[in-house]
Order: sequence, then C-alpha cells, then structure tokens
Amino acid sequence: MHSFLKTVSVLCFLTLSFFASAQTLPDVKVEDAQGKEISTRSLLTGKPLIISYWSIACKPCIQELNAINDAIEEWREEADFDVVAVSVDDVRMQATAKAKASALGWEFTCIYDANQDLKRAMNVSLTPQSFVVDAEGNIVFSHSGYTPGSEELLFDKVLELSGK
Amino acid sequence: MKKFLITSAALLAVSAISSSAQIRLGEGQLSASFETNTIKYVEDGGLIEPTPDDRFGTNNYLKVDYTYKKFSAGIQVEAYLPALYGYELGQQTDPKKFFLGSKYVSWTDENFYVLVGNVYDQFGNGLIFRSYEDRQLGLNNSLEGVHARYDFSRFVSLKGMYGRPRLYTDYAGSWVRGLDLSVSVADIFNWENILLSLEGSYVNRYETLDKDAYMDFGALGLDTPQLNMYSGRVNFGWKGLSIKGEYAAKSKDLATSSSQSATPGAAIFAEAIYSWKTFSVSGTFRMLDHMGTMLSLYGNGTGNTLNYLPALTRQYTYMLANLNPYQVNVEGETAGQVDLYYSLRSKTTRHRYWNFHVNYSTAYTMSASQSVTGTRQLLWSDANVDVERQWGRNLKTSILYSRQEWSPSHGGEDGTYVSNIFVGDVTYKFDRKKSLRAEVQYLLSDDYEGDWVAGLVEFNFAPMWSIFASDMYNLEGTKKNYYNAGFSFTKGRTRIQLSYGRNRAGYICSGGVCRYSPAYTGLNLSLTTSF
Repeated sequence: MHSFLKTVSVLCFLTLSFFASAQTLPDVKVEDAQGKEISTRSLLTGKPLIISYWSIACKPCIQELNAINDAIEEWREEADFDVVAVSVDDVRMQATAKAKASALGWEFTCIYDANQDLKRAMNVSLTPQSFVVDAEGNIVFSHSGYTPGSEELLFDKVLELSGK
Repeated sequence: MKKFLITSAALLAVSAISSSAQIRLGEGQLSASFETNTIKYVEDGGLIEPTPDDRFGTNNYLKVDYTYKKFSAGIQVEAYLPALYGYELGQQTDPKKFFLGSKYVSWTDENFYVLVGNVYDQFGNGLIFRSYEDRQLGLNNSLEGVHARYDFSRFVSLKGMYGRPRLYTDYAGSWVRGLDLSVSVADIFNWENILLSLEGSYVNRYETLDKDAYMDFGALGLDTPQLNMYSGRVNFGWKGLSIKGEYAAKSKDLATSSSQSATPGAAIFAEAIYSWKTFSVSGTFRMLDHMGTMLSLYGNGTGNTLNYLPALTRQYTYMLANLNPYQVNVEGETAGQVDLYYSLRSKTTRHRYWNFHVNYSTAYTMSASQSVTGTRQLLWSDANVDVERQWGRNLKTSILYSRQEWSPSHGGEDGTYVSNIFVGDVTYKFDRKKSLRAEVQYLLSDDYEGDWVAGLVEFNFAPMWSIFASDMYNLEGTKKNYYNAGFSFTKGRTRIQLSYGRNRAGYICSGGVCRYSPAYTGLNLSLTTSF
C-alpha cells in the first residue's frame, strides 16, 4: 500500500508540474483591520496588486513591507497599483500585529488571515512570500524570501503590467 | 552522507521540474507546494545527548490543490523517512512513514460552503476548538469529517463540523462535533462604521472510557465519555478602537495526560486595540482554569490538543531572547500582555524614521493550591523595549533590552530566575543588491547557566543569495558553542537553504506552542517550492 501511494503521489506531482495552469487569486474570507469579514476577491479594484505575507515573528517580512512603504510614493508616480499585507498571525499575536501595522504607517490595505485559509489556498508554506496579481485577478509573479532590494522585482512586474 | 546526497539530488530535481512549464488545464487550476526539511546528524563529542541511530531524518510535505469554479479538491502527502530527531510524531508507537496526511473536496457558493475531508477551523479565539497544522512543531490536529457553513444574508452565520481528529500520524479514537453561531448586530441595525457581533459556540468530544484495561478513569472522577464545551463572545470595533471578549467553560475532564483528577474548566479572554495616527496600543488578558483539552484521553504530547491556549508572550527573532521561552500552564494561569508602538517619521523623506516599541507580558498561577508554598506564584514576566532607527536609504539600526523573569519549577515552588538581554542589530545596504546585517547579543544572569553571548552576520545578494553565520556561546555554565553557518538560494517560489550547525537542547516554539528538541549537530537542507 505504501509503495503504491508513493508511486501514485510522485507521478501525480510530476504530471501536475507540467500541466499546472496560471492561478487566479482565490476567493477566501479574511478579516479587515477592524475585524470585519471580507472576501479576497473584493481586493481587486482593476489595478495591479502586490500581495505580501507577513507575521510578527517574521522579521524579513516586516523588512519587505517597510521597504515597499518607503518606496511606494516614488513607485506610484510611475504606475497605479494596490498593496495588500496579509498577516498570518493567529489569535495570539493578532492584536500586536494590528497595532504594529497601524503604527508603522503602512499606506496599504492590511488583512488578517488568522485561520490561514488564504495561506493554504495560495499554497504558501514559507514567509516572506509575495505575489503580483494583474487587474483581472491572475497571479503573474511570486517570490519567496526577502533580501534588501528584492522588493524591486515586485515593482518591475507592476511596471510590466502597466505597459511601462 | 550518501543517503543525504541522494535525497538532496532527488529534491532538487523535483523542484527544478516544478518550477518549469505552466500550462492551462481546461478551466480548472492546479496549484501545489512541496517542502522538505532534511538533516544529516553528525557525531558530536561536545554534546551530552546521543546522536540518533539512523543519523538521518527527513520531514516532507507535498500538497496539491485543484479548483474548478466553485469546486475544490486537494491532498497532502507526508513522508517522515524517518521523522526528524525530537519530533513527537516520530516517537509514537509504530508511526506511519508515508501516508495521505489530509484530503478534501469542497464546494463554495454565495452563502454556503461544504467540505468533506480534513477540516482546519477555529471557533472564536480557540479557547474550545482549533484545528490547524504547524510543521515546525510536527502538529496537525485537523478533523477528518464534514464542515459546513451557511450565511443567512449578512446578519447571521452558522457553521458546524463533525469528525475524528488527527493525532500525529494517525487518528485519535474520539469524535468531535461542534456548532458556531455569529450574529452581526451592527448589520441588523445598519450601523455604519461600527462592528458589533455576538457569537457563541458549542463543542462536544466523545470517547469511550473502556479502551484500555489499565486506565481507570472512574478513579480519576471521570464517569462519562461526553465532554461538553461552550463559549460566548462579543466583538466591537469603532474607528481606531477594537475590543473582543470571550467566556468559555467545559464539563469535567482531564486537562492533561498527567492530571490526577477530572475537573470542570473555564476561561476568560479579553483583547483591546487602540490606534491613533502612528501611535497604537494593544492589550490581551486571559485567565485559564483547567482548560487544557486533549484530542484523546489515551494520548499525550503537544499534538494531543483540541483547543488553542498559546503563551501570551512576545515572539522574538533574537537567539538569546528566545533561550528560555515560556510555556503556558493549562492547569491554571492568569496572564496578560501589553504592547505600545509609536513611529516618529520625517516630514521630508519616507526613508528616515524612528520606531519605538514597549512590551510587557506576565503570567501567574491561578490559584494558591498550584504551589507547595500555598501562594500564587509568578510564572513569567518580560519587560522589554526596542528602538529602531532608519537613518536613510542605506542604514538601519535597532537596539533591544529585555528583562525576563521565570519560574524554573513552573510555579510549583518559590524562586525565579532573571535574565537581562541586550541586542544590537544593524543593516547596511551597499547598493541596490548587496547588503549586510549583523547582530550582537548578550544575556546577563546570575542564575541557571549564567551569561551568554551571541552574534550573527548575514550577507545578502538580492534577490537570490544569502550567506550567514552565527554563534551562541555560554560563558559561565556549560561553556559550549552553538554555531551555525550556511546559505540560501531563492528563485521565484523555490527556496533552498543548506546549513551546518550545533543546536542547543530546549523548547522550540511556534505560535506560542512549544515542543522539546534535544541537542544535535548536523547538516540541514530545507527546500520549499510551489506553483
């Protein structure tokens, strides 16, 4: 039974690797900063969207979001886009995460995925993890991890989507 | 070593394939992720703990999801060949090595949702129920069963679940069912910009008491296979203010596998957040009285948990600040945490600011009877402050001070240990791609193992490469070095990290839940990829 399972899963994975389609942003319920339930599809406003995952214990995630926030004014002079910070902090750290996000003055939408439904749906197993979504909701770029300067990859993709 | 190299080569091949072609498959969508954490253990004469016999451990997860319009299905295959040293799931009797860890089919419509398979959910703040996965802890207590939700317009939402909980690599012998109701009062009265909801939950665990002739639950005061748990909640939000409150209670039960008598339990949870411009304050309070709840009366360990009672303490990223993490006392504790954040920002440039943060967390035993002294004992306190300064586009510095006081007997006796921790952290960006980060840490203590010193250097070449080296040295007790060095490579959604180091025995905590990890030295390969 075990060798059968092993064979089937490896074959499935290899087959799926070749036949995977471009993903769209899944429609999952998350909370906004006030605690109200919202649908992730409501985040699409007809503009390219940068989605970046973070949590209180993920230092490089916060570094990445701070770097995006520092550059956002300059970037927006060249392209119109939205940024969504997805906190995957559970109930233990959610209050701290909300307080921190507010104090850091992040000029973008913060959503809270305490049950990690969106994280599971987007197959995020490691943070930092960032995505660029086009105006129709197709995920066109994603990147794991963060090193100072790699936030520019996200903006390059936004510029490409904006035809610049 | 050969086994490690073969595994590494196989994993790299899989990740290379997975990051290749993306072809549309009809109108449906496929996505998948793969994660491995593989260690080749090395004999280390400097450690007291033995090296695992197999000298090899590997935890692997392959998750595949398919979505077609409102329909979704997925599987997660797990392989522990064998499980990494110290993971409780590998220490169970005859653990499975390769198996279907979870699976589901679901339908999501406008106002309802149904899932058959492994359920991941939480009722309220998790005081009576939370099923989730934490790979760092080797924990997955998802329910194998049915989960459904129905929204009666935007006013009322009802969800229910029924299933048997997963316990490590198998399933617990219990059945868990529950209902959760949420009523949005603010929506009923059409209040704008106000959030007010009233919520309630019920959870039942059923498990027969006669499965093991050697266990006499009657002698411990447990006379029914039924455990009932209830909770009532209120959530309020208005402008920058947000308040949550929950009261939960449970019928007679054994709170842990070592409980000597069955006792009813209760809990109170309260949380408040207030934000104004770049100033924010948040506070959390929680009282627990015998609220520990096991998936199965016949199981034990961190994974044998039906509800979520994490430690209310700050989560650090610094080695020495995490040296002695607090573990929650589920038999009874009163705990709280306060955070204050303030950011002082330049009006002329976005690249110059100060971030100030003050945090205080504390926990006491709930009743005097928990200690041989007959008085309530301090379990934990941590007063800490950190200041971060972004000097411009290239330089950032941070300093942190933390005073931690903790009870080595977990409140059973008098006396506490005190640690004073100092951290300096600097990041310098040479240009758009190259940056250096360095940490210096010192722990000052007259107790336990005395003083420690630690340091870390990390050099990054964005966006792909990072190399790092760290060391943590005990100056007065064991006088041991705990070193670690390695590199990581990232391309798209694939990240590979290879490191070699010596790890100290202690509690590994994730999300406020901890598992004990023995000391070991080894070569560690971590790989995550998804598409």
